[in-house]
Amino acid sequence: MERWQPSAEILALRSDHQASRPALGAERAIHYTQFWKRESTNLQPCLLNARALADHLARRTIRIHPGELIVGTHTEHRVGAICHIEKAGWAMLEDLRRFETRPINPIRVDPQAKRTLTRTVVPYWLNKNLAMRAFPLREKVRYVKDQLGAVDHVVNEVGGVAHFLPDYARLINTGTEGLRAKVEQRRAGPGLTDENRDYLDASLVCLDAIDDFGDRYRREAERMGRHDLVEVLQQVPRRPARNLHEALQLIWFFQLLIQIESLDQGVSLGRIDQYLHPFYSVESSSPDFDRGRVGDLFAAFCIKLSEIVPLFSSRVTTYFAGLPSGQAASIGGVDERGHDATNELTFLLLDVIDSFKTRQPNWHARVGAASDPEYVRRVVEVVASGGGSPAIYNDDVIPKAMAERGVDASKVWNYATVGCVEPALPGESFTSSDAAIFNLAFSLELVLGGGHALTSRSAARRPWLADISSTADLMRRIEEVTARRLSELKHSLDAVELSGATHFPTPLSSLTIGGCIENATDSTRGGAIHNASGIQAVGVADLADSVAAIDKLVFRDGTCTLAEMADACATNFRGDDLLLARARKTAKFGNDDPQVDRIAAQLVEMFDRCVSAHTNTRGGRWMPGFYSMTCHHGFGRKMAAMPSGRLAGRPLADGLAPVDGADHLGPTASLNSVTSLDHGRFGNGVNVNIKFDSATVGDDSGRMALEALIRGYFAQGGMQLQINVLDTDLLESAMRDPDSHRNLLVRVSGYCAYFVDLTPEMQQEMIDRTRQHA
Amino acid sequence: MTAPTAPVFDIQRFSIHDGPGIRSLVFLKGCGLNCPWCQNPESQSARPVIGFHRSRCMESFECESVCPNKAIVRGGQRVDHDLCSRCCKCVEVCPTEALQLIGETIGPRDLLDRLLVDRAYYDSSGGGVTFTGGEPTLHAAFLTRALELCAEAGIHTNIETAGKFAWPDLEPALRLADLIYFDLKILDPDAHHQVLGHDLGGILDNARRLADGGFPVEFRMPAVPGYTDTIPNIDAVAAFLHSIGRRELHLLAYHNMGEAKIEVISGDQPRLGLPCYPDDSIRDLRRGFENRGIATI
Repeated sequence: MERWQPSAEILALRSDHQASRPALGAERAIHYTQFWKRESTNLQPCLLNARALADHLARRTIRIHPGELIVGTHTEHRVGAICHIEKAGWAMLEDLRRFETRPINPIRVDPQAKRTLTRTVVPYWLNKNLAMRAFPLREKVRYVKDQLGAVDHVVNEVGGVAHFLPDYARLINTGTEGLRAKVEQRRAGPGLTDENRDYLDASLVCLDAIDDFGDRYRREAERMGRHDLVEVLQQVPRRPARNLHEALQLIWFFQLLIQIESLDQGVSLGRIDQYLHPFYSVESSSPDFDRGRVGDLFAAFCIKLSEIVPLFSSRVTTYFAGLPSGQAASIGGVDERGHDATNELTFLLLDVIDSFKTRQPNWHARVGAASDPEYVRRVVEVVASGGGSPAIYNDDVIPKAMAERGVDASKVWNYATVGCVEPALPGESFTSSDAAIFNLAFSLELVLGGGHALTSRSAARRPWLADISSTADLMRRIEEVTARRLSELKHSLDAVELSGATHFPTPLSSLTIGGCIENATDSTRGGAIHNASGIQAVGVADLADSVAAIDKLVFRDGTCTLAEMADACATNFRGDDLLLARARKTAKFGNDDPQVDRIAAQLVEMFDRCVSAHTNTRGGRWMPGFYSMTCHHGFGRKMAAMPSGRLAGRPLADGLAPVDGADHLGPTASLNSVTSLDHGRFGNGVNVNIKFDSATVGDDSGRMALEALIRGYFAQGGMQLQINVLDTDLLESAMRDPDSHRNLLVRVSGYCAYFVDLTPEMQQEMIDRTRQHA
Repeated sequence: MTAPTAPVFDIQRFSIHDGPGIRSLVFLKGCGLNCPWCQNPESQSARPVIGFHRSRCMESFECESVCPNKAIVRGGQRVDHDLCSRCCKCVEVCPTEALQLIGETIGPRDLLDRLLVDRAYYDSSGGGVTFTGGEPTLHAAFLTRALELCAEAGIHTNIETAGKFAWPDLEPALRLADLIYFDLKILDPDAHHQVLGHDLGGILDNARRLADGGFPVEFRMPAVPGYTDTIPNIDAVAAFLHSIGRRELHLLAYHNMGEAKIEVISGDQPRLGLPCYPDDSIRDLRRGFENRGIATI
């Protein structure tokens, strides 16, 4: 079949989209503030949040842009960063004075909006935002201090939860009418508490608000004479979709409304080539089927998904660079009998990924032993063409790992991915898979510093090190410290969860999650069928390398004492070049070294033990994951040197991968170390990022090698792999001349970003790593 | 009987250009030829040596205090190879990797263990192991045993040879290999003797025997400017291939990265000072062979 290529019209639409510089979406913050001032003492929490959302949607500026096939924007701007003022949006406004002038990810701000935000909005929420309501005064101070320039952990849930797979497979066949009938039936049923009724009433308010919002766009389309759109908007979001265009419009309405209500992170699309295939199948059997137009529709959908950019302050950008929004879309995989489920739509979507590169969605391809070889070949071809998409997920490992974590084994074949890398069941999970990111490597610094950062004055003398006389002692201490830190994290996270559930429930989002209506309970309060929280560890490789270095230099060779090593780390090895050289010479994770790999395995098992001991406030389990977004930079900046020879302030390793440059035996050795860890434990997913120069893998033998690398890695139990095929020269010119390279996509830790949107440090990391493999 | 051993100076993994699939290249030390363009000068002598990377040295001279043979010299190339017993105490104590053993002596079983770590990738790619060097056929007993072990383990094997070997010694190994890459260099007997320091005759006999005997052999030629890419040599190589019924040749473009390694081993190989083989010259060379009825790969 001929490959799809974007039409001139859709390319023009993308150019218009890319020419729109991101602007601060202030209307939501202003409307919410006005509504809260008026109504917050009169309404129950669910109803209050639903009515505030409805009020905002009714008043918000709307526009349909020329040439759009799918309509609706996340904010009053075409490309907008929304401010969820009642949650983390309040803290992001620390950049209000410099949003426009900051060098990384500048954001336009309307001057009048800036005044209103400064004078009335920010002061109003000072003590009313989610984080501030979560803690008593003394803890409040500690929490704020911890989170400003975090080194220990980042609590992401303070921005809201999101991170789930709305039940689009069902929604496209029911529309809001179907949901309304279900809610009304439940509302008429027995045994409801006041809280249940508050939730269900709020759901009905949300459903009306969705319909009214759709009607506003229909009237706008009528006014503009866009009869094609009017026809679509007469059907959806109220009624079931009748074709692909209506289905995509319906999904987009929910996609943006969920992100307006809760948080623009990790609201994921699920198995889009599966649940949309029935529509595709009907349309493609019609004599006037136009495959080019269908491809254009999906391209238009991708542009829409890319309009959403997060509102991050500069401080937060270090931890989450590249404007991620984590709207994952899964393709491929198997059906309920375990047979390959790829279809013609899967291949069309691969054409779209190949020929129409956009920041979002976060494309994920499920690959396993059952996969159609032609599909795998095409996936590899698309990956080799650059852009970092799709990331690849192992169907022979992930379902088993989920079942082991208590997910219904009869359903795990149908998993999809959330956000960056996290597997979940579509439509019934509220996994909070990105609840917090935890700096595992920091445990060692705290062990050496007796509970303090190594550079602090309290750690100047270190009598506690005398008690550590073997590597086993050291590992025990690391586990104690990790367990204690995770208990502290749980304390914070519980407080944040309860604050969110109490004050800022998300009834609109909850409509799309199985279990909430049945239980008449909001998703933030445990209404979903599956509840969990994902805690990610960062710096596994650095920690393993450091323990291995101490094991050799201190406990086996006696080159230095543990106290001397701690001193060297505290002083950044100043004046001790020899010890630094020796530390660097010790064996590193990523080289098939059984001893270091075993230490790494012990560390991830330890992290799993410590994490899995906890549950969240929604009755779900904590699950360990290993991805870092760009927190490996954020955390690394604040850390002292490490015994591995990593210097102070340098980034930690990305995701589950070895330290950059430490793996000098090539990709098979590097991946062997990674698969020496038991991926079956990583219920919340992993991120393994490898980079190649396009010159190495651009030809047929290179593509063959890539495919074999993926298959060999999967055969050994690897869970996920993302491959960046990059042209070093191109990256360097993009650093020098960003304006001419706005289209250049690269894959960061678990998501794609425009290279020019990254911090200079992240840009350099991409270049260095690529050159090393060339 | 003790198992045969051989000096291995590198195992390079994830190689995708020395035979089918993803391969590990086993570099055996020692070579009977003396090609002036040698890209692995550290492979020429079969004797293991302690190599010295000057740029990595921190001049802590701990090597000096641990050396039992007083083989460490402060000037020049750090190690006096005649005094050195290759005990490697200096390599262990060296804080960086400035001192490095080139040519670790190992047995076939150990070698197999090191190769098996990439088993999943050989299997997923149809790849395997390529024995190269140096001249792997110098270590006939070791090579034969290593190939047997690979065959037992179901790993595809390839031998890269310049063809200077005694047929009876090598025949068992050649029969075990799944693929043989045979390098043709300079085919004028006098020039061969003069440049490479060895007679051509035996090499061509071996090539002919492999081709006639139905061995899985493929022929290659390093494209070295002024040495192998001359018109008379192209004529001779093409004519020889025709004479043994072959119509295909792999061309290997010369690169000069090997010259940097000469200093590391205190080698005395003169530097050629040649640039890497340019792409357009390779195109001309291909055309030259194609005009003579030889397809190039």
